[in-house]
Amino acid sequence: MPVIEVKSLKKFYQVHKKEPGLIGSLKSLVARKYEDVKAVDNISFEIEEGELVGFIGPNGAGKTTTLKCLSGLLYPTAGVVSVLDFNPWDRKAAFLKQISLVMGQKNQLWWDLPAMETFILNKEIYEVPETQFEETLGELVKLLEVEDVLKIQVRKLSLGQRMKCELIAALLHSPKVLFLDEPTIGLDVVMQKKIRDFIKEYNRRKKSTIILTSHYMGDVKELCQRVIIIDKGKIVFDGQLSEIVEKYADHKVLSVVFGKEIDPKKLSEIGEVKEYSFPKAVISVRREAVSVAAAELLQHFPVADLNVEEVPIEDIIREVFSGKDLA
Amino acid sequence: MNLWVFASMKKYFQLSKLTLQEYFVYRLNFVLWRFRSFVFFLTLLFFWLAIYGDRTALLGYERAKMLAYVVGVAFLRSFVLGSRSADLAGQIRSGELTKILLCPIGMFSFWLTRDVVDKLLNLFFTFLEIGIAVYFLRIPFYFPQRTETYLFFALLLVLALFLYFFVSFFLSAFAFWTEEIWATRWLFGIIFLEFFAGAYFPIDVLPGWLQGMINLTPFPYLVFFPLKIWLEQLSAATAIKGILICGLWLIIFYRLANLLWQKGAKNYGAFGG
Repeated sequence: MPVIEVKSLKKFYQVHKKEPGLIGSLKSLVARKYEDVKAVDNISFEIEEGELVGFIGPNGAGKTTTLKCLSGLLYPTAGVVSVLDFNPWDRKAAFLKQISLVMGQKNQLWWDLPAMETFILNKEIYEVPETQFEETLGELVKLLEVEDVLKIQVRKLSLGQRMKCELIAALLHSPKVLFLDEPTIGLDVVMQKKIRDFIKEYNRRKKSTIILTSHYMGDVKELCQRVIIIDKGKIVFDGQLSEIVEKYADHKVLSVVFGKEIDPKKLSEIGEVKEYSFPKAVISVRREAVSVAAAELLQHFPVADLNVEEVPIEDIIREVFSGKDLA
Repeated sequence: MNLWVFASMKKYFQLSKLTLQEYFVYRLNFVLWRFRSFVFFLTLLFFWLAIYGDRTALLGYERAKMLAYVVGVAFLRSFVLGSRSADLAGQIRSGELTKILLCPIGMFSFWLTRDVVDKLLNLFFTFLEIGIAVYFLRIPFYFPQRTETYLFFALLLVLALFLYFFVSFFLSAFAFWTEEIWATRWLFGIIFLEFFAGAYFPIDVLPGWLQGMINLTPFPYLVFFPLKIWLEQLSAATAIKGILICGLWLIIFYRLANLLWQKGAKNYGAFGG
């Protein structure tokens, strides 16, 4: 029984377009042009309990819109959404008590008051028992190292500090389903790692279902086995992260270190030279031609070191988004 | 059952505490807010004092009763027209509403709680400020003679509080469709509402036909009618009729606010982020 079921979900917005400048403004005052923006266009997927799924796509792909539909904020234009057997749109208290949506770009804490006040309010709103509240809060505060900022007005916190407090506020009621929209935005590498570890651990320990969107491939690579790639409102890939590499990376990368200066022109006979600056070269070679290319290199060039590597996942996904057809 | 009630009371209690705390974060803002409402009171007071001059009665009002009306307006402004739910429109536009929509808390109860806190705080300071003014300017203050007046007044006041809340909620919900919510808000909220509510002068100084029309709108039941009851210028029958009409408007606006909210929420874009 899947925890999240989405069938043919569509969400269209009507926006009015305005040409730049004052003339454009005047024009739009008289005759306004409306246009349908297909933020999410007929997507379907299912997510089982305890899965940690990465949602990736370029800006404006429809990731956040999907999460907003799943958490009951947006009314779908068409399609069926079911989360924990609820229709999110009904916003039933029993549903809302089991989910959380964290948006890296958006503040859910009470802006003018210290974060601690929001935590206490959430405790009452979500009816979290006192002992559980103290325990969870203590654990989260220690882990995210925010002991010192709890009493400071939220608006005076740095982005990273605020983000950590957002996470705490979202987790105090131990949600079964967690939607994380770029939770590591604005954090330094050390904190990114901490948050990742924390999400992983939370998912493992509570068997909670998590959907994560992120611009940092690092987040997705480390956390998710399954990814859903979405572009222009449509799902272009849904499967194991490792499958993307097998399926779409038809090239491998040869990294070579030469012992002596060579003629770079000759190198291009082996494969596509991505980079050459003595003594290092990076050559892209078709998967099936790798062994031949490696042998050639070793035979005809003064090779000091040779490595065969998979194309980095970031590059594959970049290629996917830049128009290479995946379907 | 009792436990459940207690638990949900706690959530509103905490929400009230937070709302109250927000007021005290910005001291200057707070002082200016009080200053503004005090200046409004003084302006209205001196305006009427100037109009009366040496006369003891005008437009069917004795001087003392008119001054009592003006003092009454200051109180009803804070108790009936004081509100936080006006923020709702801005929150719909900016997408800030998202944070409340995600919480398992009713939208009406959330804003009503904040409104009540605003009203109580407003009322507390109004008592202090107007008390001082009434004392120093020796303004006669009117206390009703008949016991039932207090009952009618209290009843209409509660109805008026809810009526204003749902009117305000109804107006705010337009923000789901139009971005230009301040125009409607200003037109209805300031011009129509306060004018026809009797927040500047008693409605019955106007010509009869206009009065009759205004009495058909929900507005005079917010300020004018409660004050007329307090000043004991209405018969029991008229007072009860006013209470009933107010109740009717309350039901209408409760329905309208609900309807508009349900339709509008489907238009919510949860913008930003």
